[in-house]
Amino acid sequence: MIMAPALRKFVLTTHVATSVGWLGAVIAYLALDVTAVTSRDVQTVRAAYLAMELTVRYAIVPLALASLLVGIVNALGTPWGLFRHYWVIFKLVLSALATVILLTYTQTIDGLAATAATAADPRGLPGSLPHSAGAVMVLLIITGLSVYKPRGVTGYGWRKQQEKG
Amino acid sequence: MADKQPYPGPPRWVKVSGIVVIVLAVLVLIVMFAGVGGEHGPGRHAPTGNAAPTLPGLAGHQFAEFPDHHQGV
Repeated sequence: MIMAPALRKFVLTTHVATSVGWLGAVIAYLALDVTAVTSRDVQTVRAAYLAMELTVRYAIVPLALASLLVGIVNALGTPWGLFRHYWVIFKLVLSALATVILLTYTQTIDGLAATAATAADPRGLPGSLPHSAGAVMVLLIITGLSVYKPRGVTGYGWRKQQEKG
Repeated sequence: MADKQPYPGPPRWVKVSGIVVIVLAVLVLIVMFAGVGGEHGPGRHAPTGNAAPTLPGLAGHQFAEFPDHHQGV
């Protein structure tokens, strides 16, 4: 079902805001992650791990879920569709995969923050750089796909185009 | 009415990206299941020392007791 133009603009704006917000929150998390791993100051490291947990819980997870859900609504409510163009499918798969990994990894981040909050020296904690750097890469690819919209329709999209004439 | 054109197939960027994704997925699975880099998952980020509190089933790093009055160095 195609949405009315005003609603479509609103949904698109929400999708852009949540997606870019997700990327920004992950970049902020990456900055904290690098600080947690490289700093030699105990309180800085401890604060970084606690801030990482809060960033994930109150910014990254909500934004990821919102971006994914609003993105699906946006695709279904526009002529782009969800399964008609390869770039939309790539975005959907990458976003869903990133969200699943994020939700799974939240437990680890909670563990890191809980450990850092104790009296033990948190400087030996390993951080989560492979995950945060990987997330930034994936979200940049998703952003690029959204802007460039590389050509290529699926078999389903091709049939729909042919039916439309 | 014009004849329907046959589906031209996916473009090259889709094929190349698909191959890259499959290769990366296989590498990740190998790393996870072959145990390269140690245990994967929450357990690898937790302490084993007596000083730090233990989280159920977590192991992998040693921690030293660090008294509060020495923090902030």
